[in-house]
Amino acid sequence: MKYLNLSIKEINKLLKDKKIKPIDLVNEAIENIEKHKEYNAYITLNKEEAIKKAKELEDKEVDNLFFGIPIAIKDNIITKNLRTTCASHMLDNFIPPYNATVIEKIKEKNMIIIGKTNMDEFAMGSSSRTSYFGPPKNPWNKNKISGGTSGGSATTIASRDLPIALGSDTGGSIRQPSAYTGIVGLKPTYGRVSRYGLVAYASSFDQIGPMTRNVYENALLLETIVGHDEKDLTSSKRETEDFTRLIGKDIKNMKIAIPKFFVSDIVDKEIIEKINQTIEILKKNGAIVDYVDMKYIENTVTLYQIIAMGEASSNLARYDGIRYGFSYENPKDINDLYLKTRKEGFGEEVKQRIMVGSYILSGENAKIYYNKALSIRDDIKKEFSRIFENYDWIIGPTTTTTAYNLDDPMDDPSKAFMDDVLVIPANLAGLPGINIPIGFDKSNMPIGMHIIGNSFEEAKIYQLASLIEKELKLDLNPWKGEENE
Amino acid sequence: MSNYIPTIGVEVHVELKTKTKIFSPSTNGYGEMANSLTNEIDLGYPGTLPRLNEEVINLGIKAATILNCKIRKVMHFDRKNYFYPDISKNYQITQNRTPIGYDGYVEIEIDGEKKKVEIEEIHIEEDTCKSAHRGEKTLLDFNRAGVPLIEIVTKPCMTSSKEAKLYLEKLRELLTYGDISDCKIEEGSMRAEPNVSLRKNESDPFGTKVEIKNIGSISNVVAGIEKEIERQTKLYDKGEKIVPQTRRYDDKIGDTVLMRVKETGNDYRYFPEPDIPFVVLTDEQIEEVQKTIPMLPDERRKKYLELGVSETNTKKLIQNRNLSDFFNTIIDEKTNHQIASNLLLGDISAYLNKNEKTIDETTLNKERILELIKLMEGNKLSSKNLKEILDSILETNSKIEEIIKEKGIQNITDDNKIIEIVKKIINENEESVTDYKNGHDRAIKYLMGQVMKETKGTINPKIAMEILKEELDK
Repeated sequence: MKYLNLSIKEINKLLKDKKIKPIDLVNEAIENIEKHKEYNAYITLNKEEAIKKAKELEDKEVDNLFFGIPIAIKDNIITKNLRTTCASHMLDNFIPPYNATVIEKIKEKNMIIIGKTNMDEFAMGSSSRTSYFGPPKNPWNKNKISGGTSGGSATTIASRDLPIALGSDTGGSIRQPSAYTGIVGLKPTYGRVSRYGLVAYASSFDQIGPMTRNVYENALLLETIVGHDEKDLTSSKRETEDFTRLIGKDIKNMKIAIPKFFVSDIVDKEIIEKINQTIEILKKNGAIVDYVDMKYIENTVTLYQIIAMGEASSNLARYDGIRYGFSYENPKDINDLYLKTRKEGFGEEVKQRIMVGSYILSGENAKIYYNKALSIRDDIKKEFSRIFENYDWIIGPTTTTTAYNLDDPMDDPSKAFMDDVLVIPANLAGLPGINIPIGFDKSNMPIGMHIIGNSFEEAKIYQLASLIEKELKLDLNPWKGEENE
Repeated sequence: MSNYIPTIGVEVHVELKTKTKIFSPSTNGYGEMANSLTNEIDLGYPGTLPRLNEEVINLGIKAATILNCKIRKVMHFDRKNYFYPDISKNYQITQNRTPIGYDGYVEIEIDGEKKKVEIEEIHIEEDTCKSAHRGEKTLLDFNRAGVPLIEIVTKPCMTSSKEAKLYLEKLRELLTYGDISDCKIEEGSMRAEPNVSLRKNESDPFGTKVEIKNIGSISNVVAGIEKEIERQTKLYDKGEKIVPQTRRYDDKIGDTVLMRVKETGNDYRYFPEPDIPFVVLTDEQIEEVQKTIPMLPDERRKKYLELGVSETNTKKLIQNRNLSDFFNTIIDEKTNHQIASNLLLGDISAYLNKNEKTIDETTLNKERILELIKLMEGNKLSSKNLKEILDSILETNSKIEEIIKEKGIQNITDDNKIIEIVKKIINENEESVTDYKNGHDRAIKYLMGQVMKETKGTINPKIAMEILKEELDK
């Protein structure tokens, strides 16, 4: 019997009725993961601890929907006593003595951490191919990328290994892999989820979010991880809310904006077609859809690069071989320790971004690039606010193409950023955004739609996403008939 | 004497007296086991974020107010990026662009004239860790990492080591009185780094600046500046150029030593700290903090002198913050403040020192000291008797009058009784009386001693002396 293919609610009922035990779920998740080992979704499996935890839970009351549910955690989220590598040689021996705030929250709900998922090194990349541990593979076609940087979490959810995972999104890193693998992934409003214990890449963008098989469970999982955290000064004072409350409500006369840039010729035709079909469905449901012009939206990648790499160059300075992580042995002196540790500990992409970021902040450049980018970032926020005065949602495709081949060249340094050109604007403005699968291309690779909501209007995003999900009724299981147990 | 005009500025770092560190809940403490006052934030572990200790902001407001600075109401923190083992994140969180206070001054008095030492800015930042070199190795103690600091930067506005000394003494007095820092130079909670340059004429541009670091006392600041003026004068006299550099003061050889030559364009890649939102101060918050500023030394000085306290006592009181605070509880009372200061600085201080106590740890309070002054003023208690009952006064809550009664040491205040005793002494010491009448001043002192001996010191010596003179002159 496969329990993990049931909905969370159904699993919860079985647990409550004592028809199954948490250990059944853990065993099934581990079996799935081992079966899909070649997809390389995990860096570290938490098998023994997960089994131990499941056994402990047998004596406890099933007190919430997520009780005993196996969850996968992106490997840049700090887990106490469980190796956290950021997919980097720099941290491949790092066992943290503390928990991220989101981990405390999921532990309170007695979810069971199954393992730490693969990703781009320090969340820098767009295909998870910068991972020190090799890339995860797309369950829809193992020659293709799963996207990035939360590629491992996307892979394991798409593979139906387990129902829920956490990812992180700095410049599209939840939504883009979700689009490539056909799952639902939300980047919450900046400040919604505590960043304490999320290994920083670009502090003013980073945000943890839920990655799930469907919209409803995404909303449920979000509810468990949000809330003010005194350990993170950038976390919002807003407390948790019922994010499912608008699901099922009609969208009649509600207004949707589509920035023209989002459906311009940078996007593959097949994707535009699917978007157009979805728009027709929305119109049929009474929504008003307008195409709008938005200032600066073509330049967001450049702005993002400047600010994110500047912040990254400083955030990653702490990896120096002194207190934790990889340390070059027998250095000549302190400078030698710094140089060799960072030369050998970091991969190429990371070093490149640190160097560019250092250059951007250096001397007069800080004024020319960084400060200017910050000021245009404010203008972009205002531009989004202007749109949201008249519209409920902004939509577009999540990606310009579907997942490409794992062996496509990686020699163009800006390619990684261009993969995220449609999702980065939401990061710059700190707005919530979701990927919702809307179909497949000719080679049966998933296509996703991106919905951006106004600040803290995640519930409204779920309203629209769930309507699309219900209308399309896609079969999003990549194994279909192949795995009939 | 030097033919050059020195220009001196001083940068001072003081550690703030907070319970916890600036960006983490670790204890702010000194002298504990190495690395025992640290957590993952102080050690710069991955994924950790700074919190902001509100106490630090309040002390910043207080310092800015006390140093007559303008207060910035919207400010942010910045990252100062550099690789060095003393900073766990390899960046220091500081205030580069928006210091909390700016354009202030500290007033000093030099050779009887008042001078304002101008403060360029004061900003808040985190302290670094302490490193100790053991042979080839360096040991790191992160207890100090993240201790809140304020850095106070003067304009290059001083012209002598004496001015720098007076400025530092005044600054220390103000910051201790403001409960901002304990300013212990020897423990490193106050660190002064002067910079010195020379020029020929007032109208010339400033000369090349040399900074002096690692100075362990105010007297060494003076010595360091003097030595640096000397060194630069010699170089200029020889026609040589001054290289911009950082030197340290070596106490053992009594001279400054080169630490490093300044490289041009030190690039700290400053940018606004994205983990800490802008701090916005409201007028209410500023006012609330300002209300907590105690009476400062200058005001106390003025007030005490007005109340008739001698200059020596005024100075001594202000040097002892606890006594001065206690004294302040009676400044609005009608009493003899000189007696009060004598009591506090004399017998009471001696008692406190001997018993290693502070005045707050005794039972002495406003009412009791007023009663005590009244008794002394009314000659109901002599200072000799006071010594005998001081422990009861300071350690019990009994009324002082009752303590006196209990101990049976009531003063002889009855003039007739004193006259009787004086007459008796005169009769018993005819020789001394004759000496007195022959103009030997010493004789009256001897007679007085006999009177005091007879009364076991329970009479007011002033009154006794008057009566003795009267009787002798009869």
